[in-house]
Amino acid sequence: MKYKKGIEQKNIIVKCGSDKFLPFALVFGLYVILFGTVSPGGGFQGGVIVASSALLLYLGYGYKTASKAINSEALRVGESLGATLYVILGLGGIFVGSVFCRNIFYNDGAVGDMISAGTITFMSYAVGFKVLCGVGFLLLLLMGILAPDADDEKEEAK
Amino acid sequence: MKTKTRRLIALICAVLILAAGLYAVVYAKINLPPTYDGSKVDVNDLYEHPDHENLKDADGAAAIIVQKNLKEAYAANDVASIVFDFRGYDTLGESFILLTAIAGSFVILAKHRKEDLPKEQEGGQTDEV
Repeated sequence: MKYKKGIEQKNIIVKCGSDKFLPFALVFGLYVILFGTVSPGGGFQGGVIVASSALLLYLGYGYKTASKAINSEALRVGESLGATLYVILGLGGIFVGSVFCRNIFYNDGAVGDMISAGTITFMSYAVGFKVLCGVGFLLLLLMGILAPDADDEKEEAK
Repeated sequence: MKTKTRRLIALICAVLILAAGLYAVVYAKINLPPTYDGSKVDVNDLYEHPDHENLKDADGAAAIIVQKNLKEAYAANDVASIVFDFRGYDTLGESFILLTAIAGSFVILAKHRKEDLPKEQEGGQTDEV
C-alpha cells in the first residue's frame, strides 16, 4: 500500500464495492436470520453473513475506521447474551414439564408465517444474534493482527 | 486446618453431586420411557410398510413426513425443527464451540489490542510495585 501526505491511498474500486455491497449484506443477513425457520438458511448462516459486513468495512476503509465504527465491547457482551438467551429458552421446556428444548408456545401464527413455530423461531434468533456478535468480534480480532503494523509504517513514513 | 476443612467440604460436595447424578441416571434408566425413538410417530410405519400410506401426492413421502412433523414439533420447516427442537443439545454445543474458539483466539490475539487500551492500568501497576 502507498501512503501520500499521511493519507492511506485505497483502491477506489474496492472502496466503491464495499459501499455498494455493505447494505445488501446487512439486509440479506438479517433476512436470513428472520426467516430462518420457514426458509432455507437459519440463525447460524445469517449471523455469519451479517458479520461479513465488518470485513467489507475493513476492505474498504482500513482497520482504524472499522474498529471505530464497530463497538467490540458490545459485541463481546452480546455473544454471551445470545448464548444465555438460548439456554433460557431451552430451559422453558423443562419448566413446562417436558424435555430440554421442547417447543412450548407454538399456537402463534399460521403455518408458514415469519413467527409461526413458537420457541424454535426465537431460539433461531438467539443463535443468530450470538453468531453475529461472535464472528464479528473474531473478524475484528483478526483485523487487529494485520492492521497495527501498517499504522506503525505510516507513522514511520511521517 | 482451614485448608483441611475446605478440602473436606469440597469432597463432601463432590460426593453429593456424584450421588445425585448417579441417582438421576439410574432413575432415568428404570422409570422414564424412551423419548423420540420414532415408535409413536408413523414415519417408522412409513419406512416399514409403505403400502399403508397414500403416496400419490405430488410430493410423495416428503409431504407425509412434513405432515407428521407438524403434529410433533409444530414447525413447517423440518430442518429448523430438528436443529432447534429434537437436537437442541447439539446446537447448544455447537454454539459453545464457537464461544470457546473466540475466547481462545482472544487470549492469543489480545496483545495486539493492548495499544488501543488506556494506559492507566499499566501506570497503576507500576505505582503499586
